[in-house]
Amino acid sequence: MDTLSLNRGEVRNLVFVDEPDLDLHCMQEEDSVLRLFVFDFHSADNILHIDHKAPGCVTEIYHLAFLHGEDRVNLHTRMHHEIGEGISRQTVKFVLDDKSKGEFLGELVIKPDAQHVDAQQTNRNLILSKTATMRTRPQLEIYADDVKASHGATTGQLDDSALFYMQQRCIAPEQARKMLLRAFMEDVIAQLPDEQQREQLMVTIDRIIEQGQ
Amino acid sequence: MTSLLEIHNLHASIAGKEILKGIDLTIHAGEVHAIMGPNGAGKSTLSAVLTGNEQYEVTDGTVMLNGKDLLAMPAEQRAREGVFLSFQYPVEIPGVSMVNFMRTAVNEKRKYEGKEPLSSTEFLKMMREKRKMLNMADKLNNRSVNEGFSGGEKKKNEILQMAMLQPCLSILDETDSGLDIDALRIVAEGVNRLKTPQNASIVITHYQRLLDYIVPDFVHVLADGRIVKTGDKNLALELEKNGYAEFE
Repeated sequence: MDTLSLNRGEVRNLVFVDEPDLDLHCMQEEDSVLRLFVFDFHSADNILHIDHKAPGCVTEIYHLAFLHGEDRVNLHTRMHHEIGEGISRQTVKFVLDDKSKGEFLGELVIKPDAQHVDAQQTNRNLILSKTATMRTRPQLEIYADDVKASHGATTGQLDDSALFYMQQRCIAPEQARKMLLRAFMEDVIAQLPDEQQREQLMVTIDRIIEQGQ
Repeated sequence: MTSLLEIHNLHASIAGKEILKGIDLTIHAGEVHAIMGPNGAGKSTLSAVLTGNEQYEVTDGTVMLNGKDLLAMPAEQRAREGVFLSFQYPVEIPGVSMVNFMRTAVNEKRKYEGKEPLSSTEFLKMMREKRKMLNMADKLNNRSVNEGFSGGEKKKNEILQMAMLQPCLSILDETDSGLDIDALRIVAEGVNRLKTPQNASIVITHYQRLLDYIVPDFVHVLADGRIVKTGDKNLALELEKNGYAEFE
């Protein structure tokens, strides 16, 4: 396990691409900002544990897994608001093809003293084959009474009505499918602050869309 | 005069239920045909079948577009041959910008016609010109397709796409639904401006209101999967007054 402390007021962006077994424990002090980006294109087992130790902390977690073959990604987030006035945002997306498997366990804990916390967890998954599977378990434990906490999870296939709409605009289904997939994933990548990293990841994604893994 | 579209004895069903029960309709270039009828008559089914929506099964009949067998073509090929549908409910495509979407569409059509693709600059110039012609602002260019658009913006956006793709046959499916009178006027003026002696339109509507602005050459009443009456624009006024009771 890697432990990391963010000092008062510190702003940190961390990006992990295809890190197979990430086990990160991060403690945030007052007014610190952590933006965590995790991209998985192969099997991985990831644990991201974040503690807000002081008021005013902000955490953003972005995770994207795009899997083929028999790859499997587990993502376990443990977002612990120990103290109030903190903000957390989790955006988790899985795109699963072939016989790949995804599992997301999203633990969100708001302790009794952590009033005025604003926490969101969003999990959206695309299943591209009949043999791919996704398992989602949001686990919210909220012990404070004056907080905002929301979560949403959807798992589905590419939108048939969007595919037909694009076909009616001269775009063949195979290309329409690629455009929709790309858009679904670009949405996460667009959050990266570094332009070069964004471009590199889009190149990777385009290559995988074209060729598979 | 050769016909642009020739529908003969068209039967179609969805989930085993027959909706279209023998449609015959001939459309020539330069004409506007209105199709009116009560809810459930098969109006939207007709547009879905003509554009190749695979949810519907054609069980009998033929449809020829400029002498080619339309029903043998996949949906995207029908579009490239010049069949355009202005959707009753335009679909939102999150993450795909209008510019990227439309440029792909226009260049796919050009490729099919054996033309060179438009460069980014040429494309944007074309989009600007079409927007200007239709009196539509370009603030929506960089937004995702239809995402967060108001009802009126979505319908105007359909007409913009029609202008960009220059179809030979436009099908406007309930384009007036959900529009206030100002948006309706902009949409209708757009359609009129795009009219040429070489193209034709099918205007599907439940109400006569839209036909005050887009004046049809023919009005057909569709009821229970068949065209039961055909007339000129005055038929629409009669229907407005008397309703569809006599056809139900």
